[in-house]
Amino acid sequence: MAAGPAPLGGHPRAQKPHLSKMERVVVSMQDPDQGVKMQSQRLLITVIPHAVTGNDVVEWLIQKYCIAEDEALHLGTLLVQHGYLYPLRDPRRLLLRPDETPYRFQVRLNWEQTPYFWMSTLWPAAELDYAIYLAKKNIRKQGALVDHEKVGYHHPSPATPAESSQRNPSPTSGAHSPGSKLIQMHKHTHPIEGVSEGRWGVHPPELGVGKSFPLETFNHPQAHYDQLHRKINHTWDLVVMQAREQLRAAKQRRKGDRLVIACQEQTYWLVNRPPVSLLLEGGSWTAEKSLQGQCVSLRCSLRTCLLTLGKDVSFEILAKFLTKTVDFYKRRIECCRKALGRTRVKSSVCLEAYLKFSSQRGPHDPLLSGCLPSNPWVTDDDTYWAMNAPSVAVPTKLRVEQWAFSFRELLEDPVGRAHFMDFLQTEFSAENLSFWEACEELRHGGQAQVPALVDAVYQQFLAPGAARWVNIDSRTMERTLEGLGRPHRHVLDDAQLHIYMLMKKDSYPRFLKSDLYKDLLAEAVVPLETKRRVFPFMWKPRHSSPSLALLPTSTSGEPEAAAGSPGGGDGET
Amino acid sequence: MAKEECKALLDALNKATACYHHLVLTIGGSADSQNLREELQKTRQKAQELAVAIRARLTPPLRDRGLGAEERAEFERLWVAFSGCLELLEADMRRALALGTEFPLHAPRRPLVRTGVEGGASGVAARALSARSLRHEGERDFDVEDLHQLEREILKVGEMIQDMEMKVNVPRWTVQARQTAGAELLSSASAGVSSVGGVSVQQRMGPCDLSKALAATIFSAVLLAAVALAVCVAKLS
Repeated sequence: MAAGPAPLGGHPRAQKPHLSKMERVVVSMQDPDQGVKMQSQRLLITVIPHAVTGNDVVEWLIQKYCIAEDEALHLGTLLVQHGYLYPLRDPRRLLLRPDETPYRFQVRLNWEQTPYFWMSTLWPAAELDYAIYLAKKNIRKQGALVDHEKVGYHHPSPATPAESSQRNPSPTSGAHSPGSKLIQMHKHTHPIEGVSEGRWGVHPPELGVGKSFPLETFNHPQAHYDQLHRKINHTWDLVVMQAREQLRAAKQRRKGDRLVIACQEQTYWLVNRPPVSLLLEGGSWTAEKSLQGQCVSLRCSLRTCLLTLGKDVSFEILAKFLTKTVDFYKRRIECCRKALGRTRVKSSVCLEAYLKFSSQRGPHDPLLSGCLPSNPWVTDDDTYWAMNAPSVAVPTKLRVEQWAFSFRELLEDPVGRAHFMDFLQTEFSAENLSFWEACEELRHGGQAQVPALVDAVYQQFLAPGAARWVNIDSRTMERTLEGLGRPHRHVLDDAQLHIYMLMKKDSYPRFLKSDLYKDLLAEAVVPLETKRRVFPFMWKPRHSSPSLALLPTSTSGEPEAAAGSPGGGDGET
Repeated sequence: MAKEECKALLDALNKATACYHHLVLTIGGSADSQNLREELQKTRQKAQELAVAIRARLTPPLRDRGLGAEERAEFERLWVAFSGCLELLEADMRRALALGTEFPLHAPRRPLVRTGVEGGASGVAARALSARSLRHEGERDFDVEDLHQLEREILKVGEMIQDMEMKVNVPRWTVQARQTAGAELLSSASAGVSSVGGVSVQQRMGPCDLSKALAATIFSAVLLAAVALAVCVAKLS
């Protein structure tokens, strides 16, 4: 339905900086004392005030901003193109009088628009509004959505026979009936029109390359009307009703006001026309915000290009714009497809895993649960570090417990790995771990040693009659053997992974249940918390290994162990 | 009949929305004034009342599953038109809020843009409210308070639209519109525009209409005088 001005994606509508600057210029033009000179436009009976000549505008700009005439002209043209001013005589040409000769400024041209139609309040011009506007225009011009001077064209859209029979063939050459979709050829026929009754309308790709055709064919209100009718057919009742009512409401005003408002609306829709490419693609006009910027810039660049080149435009330029958008859409589709295929984990699952991890690791974390015997930063005693060194004879209990969390923990701890190796030797499957270690060395070793190492590994572990042959499944073995021809760092990755999974699923659980591990647990050390020597005057003895998590309440809860000597490494359990 | 009532209400809402749209066009321009803001307020309040009434009438038939296919199609058509109208109204209200904040009436520094529109729009508002004329009675700071109220009303309308979407499930694309392309060119009498409570009173207060009436009377008077003179001359001679 109508997009309306609701901000898409929740972002507030930010004014583009160039538009706010232009607004300021226009507002300063309004100043009754120092603004631009206003005159009155005189139609047959009605007199409409607040008209401004182009000459006045340029002079004012030159005087106020001390700029050259060219620049003032350019600035004025920008104001017109963005809709802040609009021409009275030739509303379709959004120029502050073309830049051929500077003398053309005598013609009385421009009025100033209401803020409703200012570009800075950049609502996406919705399809519904545009449809209502076209319907109103249709009613006002009695079916002629074409200007009199423009060339007719043969529109290949489906015509309902009922409608066409209702219409009488229009008497004057200027009026056209949309129902029959056949628009009479006018006096100034275009050269191509004369050649054939060729069917060409809104799809220039059907034309041959290199032909030129007038801009109005596919930027045509009639084409828009039909397209909109197809697209928002379901709301056509509303469109008709609203169009009629709006016209009736407008009749309540003076004639002069009516004219002004009609001109303003016309200019608004001229400035905000739907971009050519989108109409041709049949794509959605109310595109997302990210596309909108592209479209606006496309539209602006297209329009300025066409305006400077004149009415007839060669097909190549348009083709360039067309291909750009086709590629753009294709890339977007690819992007979206890839995004769909990504694996996603539900947050409930993630959070459960996170909770489990936190509860498991909580007691092991030195910050959360305090580190025994004492926090070296607090007591200046580095027993803690000595006891938890990478290779120590007797590991602490916490450390041994950590090996049970996951296989990776066990392998990463050198002490753990050594004990695991001992265990595997009792099971006669130590070559697995050796192979894994050798592969690790290959992966992280020097580049120069890679070929030699690969060779050594092959000889020792993978060759058919090797001394320490590892059990790898046939497919992985084939792939590895193929890769051995061109050895690189990661050639043994598959095999290493296979062996790793084998150990993890098979040997590791057995290790955890084995007597070896249980003995280790029993022998592990739990150091005592050292008591801090404090002044006898202190009320609360400070803790030597404060736990940050318990800090606010950590007063008397902690059991006070007997004061062991602070230097004793292997305390009694 | 429920359908006729709904249609009449919908036509009135349509009229109010169109008038509101027309009034919003002139905010910030040379015709902006306190009167305009008051008219805006009255028009949109009327439109909201109508919207609430229509919604109350249309929701029960659409939620009733036992309704016949044709009747249901009819109601769906009305529903689509109604929700479109409401969205247009909301869009216009937002524009009015943005423009109203940008162009405060009583701030000395920012002049209104001189657009060439003069003359009041009381006729438009009166048409929306189906009244003969409008009384203007606002205080000085009317527009500032009005903006606050406008914000709240926008939120209300937005909620109403949301609510409607949730409660009634009408797939828009399946609705077949009665009017075809170019149907607006047919005479407007067939549209069946009927306002609430009978004939709408057309406002003829525009100065040009007055001058037309004046010219007509003068002309007829002169004609009568000429005829009388001719008769006298004929009698005398």
